[in-house]
Amino acid sequence: MTTSAVFRRSFDSIPEIFALTEKTFAREGIDIRLLPTVDLALEELFTNMVKYSTTTTRPVQVEIVAIDNGVEVTLTDYDVEPFDVTKAPDVDITLPIDARHPGGLGLHLIRRLLDSIEYEYTKEIRRSRITFRKMHSGGPNGLATHKGGTNARD
Amino acid sequence: MLAIEFGPEGGVVITGRLDASEAPRAQSFFDQVQGTVTVDCSQLEYISSAGLGVLLKTQKRLLGTGGKLKLTGVNSHLNDILGYSGFDQIFEIQRAR
Repeated sequence: MTTSAVFRRSFDSIPEIFALTEKTFAREGIDIRLLPTVDLALEELFTNMVKYSTTTTRPVQVEIVAIDNGVEVTLTDYDVEPFDVTKAPDVDITLPIDARHPGGLGLHLIRRLLDSIEYEYTKEIRRSRITFRKMHSGGPNGLATHKGGTNARD
Repeated sequence: MLAIEFGPEGGVVITGRLDASEAPRAQSFFDQVQGTVTVDCSQLEYISSAGLGVLLKTQKRLLGTGGKLKLTGVNSHLNDILGYSGFDQIFEIQRAR
């Protein structure tokens, strides 16, 4: 069964998102060990939408479904410009501390912790959809799938 | 929910989840610390890039005055996050037993 909910575009929605994942994992019998990574990916992708898609006030939709050996999550953002999170550059983690800043770290992290992440943009309705999967036997060994679409910010 | 306070030996004890909604409060707390400070992370369940940003900003400030943050009681998930971020090169980290 797919669990679906919409969340206001505010960092204050983050605890509500975590409450949804915890409840869904318990109800669907999803391995609780996957929860920290799923929460991290959801937070990073959601906050990215809130920070950078400022021309819309529409809420972000989150869907969670149990799959064989793991979980699949989809975030849908309406009336926005495209931004392909799969094409965001990696952070240079070898830089000395004076040259380090937290920008981009969230997407850098989740690409290493998830098993797959896909981005899709539908131009006609200005809709961004990000779907990621976390499996029992996958990560943190890098992504098995890394599939993107158009990135207007490249 | 996040709780952050000074422990009995002058270190910082951080409990709960350090996410983007809690990062401003955590930053306000860490802005007060001085010198070399041990941060007990044994009850820190979760951290996101917003929380890492708090630690990074604090470490930069403290290193500038000869101090630093030391992270102790780091669990497996947190250790992965710190490693993938390259923070294991920036912080002294002690894993949870």
